[in-house]
Amino acid sequence: MNAPLKLVISGPVGAGKTTFVQTLSETEVVSTEADATEDIGKATTTVAFDFGTLNIDGQELHLYGTPGQDRFDFMWDVLCEGALGLVLLVAGNKPQDFLHARHILEFITSRNPVPFVVGVTRQDLPDVWAPQDVAAYFDLPVGQVLGLQATEAVSARNVLIRLLESQLAKETV
Amino acid sequence: MTSGSKQETLQATLQTLRTSLPELRGALVATIDGLPIAQSFSDNTDANRVAAMAATALGLGKRINDTLGAGELTEMSVTGADGQVFVYATGRKGVLAVVTPAAMNLGLLNIEARDAAQTVALVL
Ligand SMILES: Nc1nc2c(ncn2[C@@H]2O[C@H](COP(=O)(O)OP(=O)(O)OP(=O)(O)O)[C@@H](O)[C@H]2O)c(=O)[nH]1
Ligand SMILES: [Mg+2]
Repeated sequence: MNAPLKLVISGPVGAGKTTFVQTLSETEVVSTEADATEDIGKATTTVAFDFGTLNIDGQELHLYGTPGQDRFDFMWDVLCEGALGLVLLVAGNKPQDFLHARHILEFITSRNPVPFVVGVTRQDLPDVWAPQDVAAYFDLPVGQVLGLQATEAVSARNVLIRLLESQLAKETV
Repeated sequence: MTSGSKQETLQATLQTLRTSLPELRGALVATIDGLPIAQSFSDNTDANRVAAMAATALGLGKRINDTLGAGELTEMSVTGADGQVFVYATGRKGVLAVVTPAAMNLGLLNIEARDAAQTVALVL
């Protein structure tokens, strides 16, 4: 049996990291939500991490969702230690957050160059950026950017499958 | 209470704590989502960072306590060779962090800091 793969889910506030882990985990999620004291468009925010697990084709995956606010950037470091892949989520209807998402991506990959995919959430909502447009914005191959609805398991799972495929591709080169 | 006088009361509470325990390196009150509200440090400690870390510690400590069935979290501590940090839950809205040198009278600290934590909880 393969050892569990540690994957990190990161991205700006409200991208849907906690939602993503909760949608996909097959075990009870460990979450660390605290009441938000600023107006961030929702009631609570992650202060340490989300932890959930699932199994895809016999491979156990351990998902660690990070906080999204910059003041918790030390947790990005902590959580990325030993990680084998990264899912960077951005809310597709919040283009004002894309620059911050890019900053998080660079912060993480400059310290730990892990394979990553970008997930563009909220594809079920109107006025949302399509994944190929976000790929152009991030200057990434279209195959590395996927649209999803973080509240829905099939599209969320597809993001992980793409990440696993890209990892396999790297290992067999 | 207006937020101005709230802040003053919290600052005074930290000052009282530091006066009764002069060896403290500092103390801080933050919101549970990691923003500093009041602080008092002897050195140039980055309060923004300590506030975020105190919130992270408290958030994580709560989940550990939940998992172990240890009830509501009241405090947790982190110990190093050269100092310690004590993080106290202060009601539902805040957290009190106290930074001490390595050699500290913990009995006295617990009395004074828990007292301060109670005051902070009432104010917030
Ligand atoms: N309709 C829709 N709502 C979404 C989607 N993804 C996330 N949301 C909602 O957007 C909000 C995102 O919240 P979280 O999952 O807490 O966001 P987060 O990225 O963990 O945020 P922080 O922990 O504060 O950094 C929630 O209210 C979700 O229900 C999506 O794909 N579609
Ligand atoms: Mg979250």
